[in-house]
Amino acid sequence: MLSVLVWLPIVAAVLVGFWPGLAAERARQTCLVVATALFGWSLWLVARFDPAQGGLQFAESIAWAAELGLYYRLGVDGVSLPLVVLNALLTWIALYSSPSGVKRPRLYFALMLLVNAGLTGGFVAQNLILFVLFYELGLIPLYLLIAIWGDSERRNYAAMKFLVYTAVSGVCILGAFLGIALAAGTSAALDYNASLTTALPLQAQLILLSLLLVGFGIKIPLFPLHTWLPDAYTEASPPVAILLGGVLAKLGTYGLLRFGLGLFPETWHLVAPGLASLGALTAAMGALAALAQKDIKRMVAYSSIGHMGYVLLAMAAATHLSLLGAVLQMVSHGLILAVLFHLVGVIESKVGTRDLDVLNGLMNPVRGLPLVSILLLVAGMASAGIPGLVGFIAEFLILQGSFPVFPVQTLLCVVCSGLTAVYFVILLSRTCFGRLDNATAYYPAVGWSERTPALILTVLILVFGLRPGWLTIWSEKTTGEMAASVNTPGPVARVASKIPQVRSIPLNPLSTLP
Amino acid sequence: MPDIVDIAVSNDNFKTLVTAVQVAGLVETLKGPGPFTVFAPTDDAFAKLPPGTIHTLAQNPPQLARILAYHVVPGRWKQADIARVTCLTSAEGAEIRVDCSECFEVKNATVIAADIEASNGVIHVIDNVLLMG
Amino acid sequence: MTTTRTKLPPSKHRYATVIHRLEAGGAMLPDTPENLMQIIGLYKAYAVPMDFYWRDLLYIAERVFLDPLPFFKYFLPGEYLERPNHYAGDTADLRIWRGGATAHPELRAFIERGESGKMPRLLHHLWHDRINMEFAEACMRAMLWHRGMGGRFDPYLDTDEYRANADRAIRAYFQGNPAMLALHRLFPEMFIEQVRQLSYYSNLGLFWEVMAPVFFEMSDLYDEGKLTSVPEAMNFLVNGIFAVAGRPIYHHAHIRGEIFEIVPKSKGFTWLYEAALPYVEAVFYRTAPFRGTKSYNAQAKQVPEDQQDFHFGILYADVFPVGTAGIPPTLLMQDMIHFLPPYLVDYYSKHCRGEQDTLIQLGIGFQRSMYCVTSAVIQALRSALFYPLDDPNPRHLEANRRFFELQIDRFNRPEARLLDIQRQDYR
Repeated sequence: MLSVLVWLPIVAAVLVGFWPGLAAERARQTCLVVATALFGWSLWLVARFDPAQGGLQFAESIAWAAELGLYYRLGVDGVSLPLVVLNALLTWIALYSSPSGVKRPRLYFALMLLVNAGLTGGFVAQNLILFVLFYELGLIPLYLLIAIWGDSERRNYAAMKFLVYTAVSGVCILGAFLGIALAAGTSAALDYNASLTTALPLQAQLILLSLLLVGFGIKIPLFPLHTWLPDAYTEASPPVAILLGGVLAKLGTYGLLRFGLGLFPETWHLVAPGLASLGALTAAMGALAALAQKDIKRMVAYSSIGHMGYVLLAMAAATHLSLLGAVLQMVSHGLILAVLFHLVGVIESKVGTRDLDVLNGLMNPVRGLPLVSILLLVAGMASAGIPGLVGFIAEFLILQGSFPVFPVQTLLCVVCSGLTAVYFVILLSRTCFGRLDNATAYYPAVGWSERTPALILTVLILVFGLRPGWLTIWSEKTTGEMAASVNTPGPVARVASKIPQVRSIPLNPLSTLP
Repeated sequence: MPDIVDIAVSNDNFKTLVTAVQVAGLVETLKGPGPFTVFAPTDDAFAKLPPGTIHTLAQNPPQLARILAYHVVPGRWKQADIARVTCLTSAEGAEIRVDCSECFEVKNATVIAADIEASNGVIHVIDNVLLMG
Repeated sequence: MTTTRTKLPPSKHRYATVIHRLEAGGAMLPDTPENLMQIIGLYKAYAVPMDFYWRDLLYIAERVFLDPLPFFKYFLPGEYLERPNHYAGDTADLRIWRGGATAHPELRAFIERGESGKMPRLLHHLWHDRINMEFAEACMRAMLWHRGMGGRFDPYLDTDEYRANADRAIRAYFQGNPAMLALHRLFPEMFIEQVRQLSYYSNLGLFWEVMAPVFFEMSDLYDEGKLTSVPEAMNFLVNGIFAVAGRPIYHHAHIRGEIFEIVPKSKGFTWLYEAALPYVEAVFYRTAPFRGTKSYNAQAKQVPEDQQDFHFGILYADVFPVGTAGIPPTLLMQDMIHFLPPYLVDYYSKHCRGEQDTLIQLGIGFQRSMYCVTSAVIQALRSALFYPLDDPNPRHLEANRRFFELQIDRFNRPEARLLDIQRQDYR
């Protein structure tokens, strides 16, 4: 079941890359068919998924190199399932919005599929080494995608920065995982076994968790490990940026949730206040930096940092509500960021600039990009957390769930959420409103092939904003169990007890939602 | 001494002007006591106007009368008097720019024969039809 | 005559090239075949709705008059469609267009079918599938609102004589209607002001009655290959302006079979001084900001304090927002798009966004054509008030240049499109 999601893109990538005499357009079509199949498959998984069950489903297990502790072990639960679907969807969107006229098309499309495989693998791998393998599998193709198909002269610099940062991140994670095996004294610990890791001494747990934090913190990214992101996002072509910001960043938060919180639930309490502060700081940094940008793509990139800060806060709080919010935020942020990057890409390709001081009046219905502007408006509102859109639900759950645990940090995040609205208003008013300049406005019309991806994503943003239940139902059980596991007193309960015991809020999060 | 109309009628260069004055019904006025100063465009001056101009005016006496009234200034203004001013007010009401610094010029027309005395005024012959504005 | 023309040193004006072109007998619009095709095509597309405008303007001024509920003022009766144009057809006072004197066949076909097909006129009206008379009324209102732009017509509207004429017509019109007569007694200025507006209806109607055949004839000459350059087109306009300059401007109201001369022909008001020049000033240069297109900050002096400094006309217009709202220029563009000659339809479909933004391309083409008309007005004034372009007297040429420079100074404003229309890729 899950293997199809992992291996189909790899096989297809090899075929697209090496099939003799494959035309560019044919390569793109093949990839689109594969992506459609993957998305369909992931939807079929959703249909078969039992939301009442919190644990792993569709598990597969084959011994690969058992002596190394490497098992081919896959499975999804309520946290990874939405991300798997999101990944399939955004891959389709990214492929669809890639023109067949890109240079070296076969390599490009093959790499895109490989990235998809790596990301899916990361989300479904239940063996630590297997996770690292998939984690690294996504890395090299992305480096190449930025370096070869990037936007400007700075792409090599950005790609190299991305590579160095993520390589360090990979090393940290691998180191942490090996450390786990070493400390536990058995390679069985590599098979995602929380009972072994929780038994480790507190100090060892702290070191290992910190290592994981650095590793995933780079990926998310957290302040101050974020400096690779604006360059990479900005230099990447829009389809690649969609995968980078929409899915790859989620691998960081997902990893932290799965391996940080999952493997070290009690130590988590120790670092939680710091993490929450870091999350709030990241949110503030992202929002303030976005405010200062003149380049709309960079602005969106920084907004992405800010939004990942909320996820960290939610994970630190680790209440039932906040964890659900965290998963929801990952999905909603993926959708919103994807549509933002796509629209920014369309604007850049039509207008030829991303400069806020140059852009103006795109809402003009005859010579502007009216539909693109309207969609950008909706996406901006969703990102700023306007009710009725999916961004609001996610942020509301996070803030509501985190406030009892970390009120100060949560309030700071509320302020940042307000700032999000501020910079999106700046972005929108400069870009979409105002007077379209006679002298410059000879932009080509936007075609339906460019509108379709944004329309699909916008519809999803609206639908999930109005019916968040359709999204939360898959994760509720799993996040509930995770929250419960964090609150179960263990050997380090002594430490945990110092934290106010207000975590288990007897509240069905969905009962308050439409 | 002949009056303004008599002088114009007796001269072969003013056929158009005389017809126009008749069509516009200004004969009686110009035969009146006055005195008037008349800037009289020659036939050549009228011929310079684009085709149709005179045709349309001839169909509309009040409008024609107004254009002709612009060529008339109440009072007896000889060249020596005009040299002292820069502007005259026509019978039409609009002003006429005059300039005697180099040669005797009335607006964009040049006077080709000045100070022709009549019993009820003075005539200056000009080479352009004057238009208001 | 000397063969060598007297020459002046080059102008130091910001738009020196344009000044030199005017001095050489050209227009503000560069002489290119593409420009010629655009302006002539638009004159034709403009002339057809204009044929409706002038008829309906006169209908409103003469017949609808003070109808308190003028629902059907845009429903032109057959009598006015048949009304012979004074400058076309066999019955013309002065035949400018060789075509017919009654309403243009394309106009009749459009009134019949519109865009949406054959249906009762009321449905066409309600569906807004019709000629946008609102544009004509907006032009009329611009003239009424600015007033005082030269000529004797406007001051006359404030004289006792005019008031007496208007009062007589008002009483005749509301004869047997005590309510309206009481209203007239209560607010004596109200209906007088309405009649002033109607006088401007008449004024503009009589102005456009001339322009429609002029434009039709230009289009025909172009199609026959007899009009081959922008200066030729401009000179045709200059000659047209002179030819009809003496046409009387008047306002007659037809009330129960009786004609009331509110502005009698005998006042001697002429087409050139009382209609054309105020029209150019009000509509081409001044007008007023259109509602709903852009916010102006009056405190920041974005709207001039003096009406004479207004600069919102077609020569300054930013055609983009114009293409977006139900404002007068858009209404005109919408009218013109129905009557574009095939070569312009072709031309627009090949540029920018093709059919999607034809309205804007057409609007900018219209701007070009109105720069040509303005050039004709400037050359006509030069010829009427100043000296021939080949005058041997340098003092006269100097005066011509000062005149040209003074006229072109009006385009020193940043909003002016004079610089844009010099480029062919301004669309």
